[in-house]
Amino acid sequence: MPSPSDQQVLTALSTIVDPDLGRDVVSLGMIKDLRIDGAGEVAFTFELTTPACPVRDRFKTQAEEAVGALPGVTRVDVKMTANVRPGFMRQASEMLPGVKQTIAVASGKGGVGKSTVAVNLAAALRQSGARVGLLDADIYGPSVPGLTGVHEQPKVVEQKLVPLQAYGLSLMSMGFLGGADKAMIWRGPMVSRAIQQMMSDVTWGELDYLVIDLPPGTGDASLTIAQSVPLSGVVIVATPQDLALDIAVKALQMFRSLNVVPLGLVENMSWYVCSECGHEHHVFGHGGAERAAQRLGVPFLGGIPLHEDIRVEADGGAPIVVSRPDSPAAKAFRDVAQQVAARTSIQSFRQLPVINVR
Amino acid sequence: MLEIAWEGGARTRHPGRQLRWACPCAECRGEGGAPGRLDGAGELPDEELQLTDVALIGQYALQIAFASGHGTGIYTFRYLRELGG
Repeated sequence: MPSPSDQQVLTALSTIVDPDLGRDVVSLGMIKDLRIDGAGEVAFTFELTTPACPVRDRFKTQAEEAVGALPGVTRVDVKMTANVRPGFMRQASEMLPGVKQTIAVASGKGGVGKSTVAVNLAAALRQSGARVGLLDADIYGPSVPGLTGVHEQPKVVEQKLVPLQAYGLSLMSMGFLGGADKAMIWRGPMVSRAIQQMMSDVTWGELDYLVIDLPPGTGDASLTIAQSVPLSGVVIVATPQDLALDIAVKALQMFRSLNVVPLGLVENMSWYVCSECGHEHHVFGHGGAERAAQRLGVPFLGGIPLHEDIRVEADGGAPIVVSRPDSPAAKAFRDVAQQVAARTSIQSFRQLPVINVR
Repeated sequence: MLEIAWEGGARTRHPGRQLRWACPCAECRGEGGAPGRLDGAGELPDEELQLTDVALIGQYALQIAFASGHGTGIYTFRYLRELGG
C-alpha cells in the first residue's frame, strides 16, 4: 500500500480544532516539519502556542489517531513543541524588545493575594517549560522579594540592571533596589518613571512571558504599564466577598477603557481548608467570583483555596507550586496558569488596527 | 494622511487637518471651563496641520505629533473610529 500524501495527512489533521481559538490546527499553522517516508512512517511537529497548553495531551492523541487511521500509515511520530506567539504590534514597543507576552496581575483592592497569585502563576508557567520573568510593579509595597526569598541587590552591567534569578524566574522589584525595609515616599510621577525604568533599563532578555504584579487599584503604576507596553491581557484577582468583587469590577473597567483585554477573574481564598478536620469552609461566601465573571462577560479562571500551607510557603519565600507541587493548592494554581496561558494565546491572534502614515 | 485598517476590514483615512482640529488634548480643548487653543481659532498655519509622528500608546490609542511640534493629543482608537465616520 502506498504512503499517504502530505495533503491527505494535513486533511486528516485539520479535523482537530483548537477549542480556544475555534479553528483547525492546520490552518492555525501548528503542524510543522511534516515528513512521510516510503514505508508509511509519518512524522511531524505539533507546535502549540504555549507550553502550558491545557489540551496538549489530547491534541497528541487526536493527531496520532487521525493520522494513524489513514490507509498506508504504519507509524505516527508526533513531536510536541511550543512557540509562544508574540503579541501584536510588538514592534511598536521598544520598551521590552525580547518579551513575547506581557501578563498583568491586578486587583481592585489590596490584600486579596494578588502577589501570591502572580508569583505562583509565573512559577507554574516556568514549570511548563516557558521562559518567564516577574516584574513587581508595586513600588510602595513590593512583595516579590519576600515571596521568592530573594534579598540581594541586582548587578549593573552596561548601565542596565540584571534581573535576579529564583526558581528559574527572572525577577525585578523595587524591593531589590531601595532596600526591602525602606519606604518609598513618592508622588505619582516618580512611580511612573521608576516603573518605566524597571522595564526599559533591565536586561530582561528573551522571555515567553513577563508577569507583572501590579499594585492594587487604578492608579499611576497601572496606568503607566498600560500606556507603555501593549499588554497581552490582565488577570484580575478577587476574593469571593461582595465588597472585594465590587471593587475588582473597577479595575476591570479601567483596563477595558485602556483596551487591555481581561484574561479573566481568579477567585483567591475561595474556601478555607481546616487544618484540623480537613473540612472546607466557604468563609467569604461561595461562587461569588464565578457569578461576577459571568455577569461581566469575562472568563472565570479558577479558585485558589485559603490554605495555611500557601501562607507558610509564601512566608518562607517559596511558591507552593515549586515547594509542594502535589498539594491541592499547587494544582489549583497550575490550573489557573494553564487557563491564563490559553487565554493569552487567543489574544495573540487578535487583530488591532493597522496604521499607515503617508 | 493617516490610514487605519480596522479589525473586520473597514478602512478610515484621516488628513492632518482633520486630526489637528480634533486634537483631544487639554491645551487644545481647554479644561476646567477655560477655553482651549482651538476654541475661537479661525485658521491654523500649514505646519500645524502636517503629520510628523504617530506612536502607539498601550494598545488603546495613538499619540499624534505635527510639524509645529504639537504632540500632546492621545487619540483613542474609539475616537479615531468616530472621526472616520
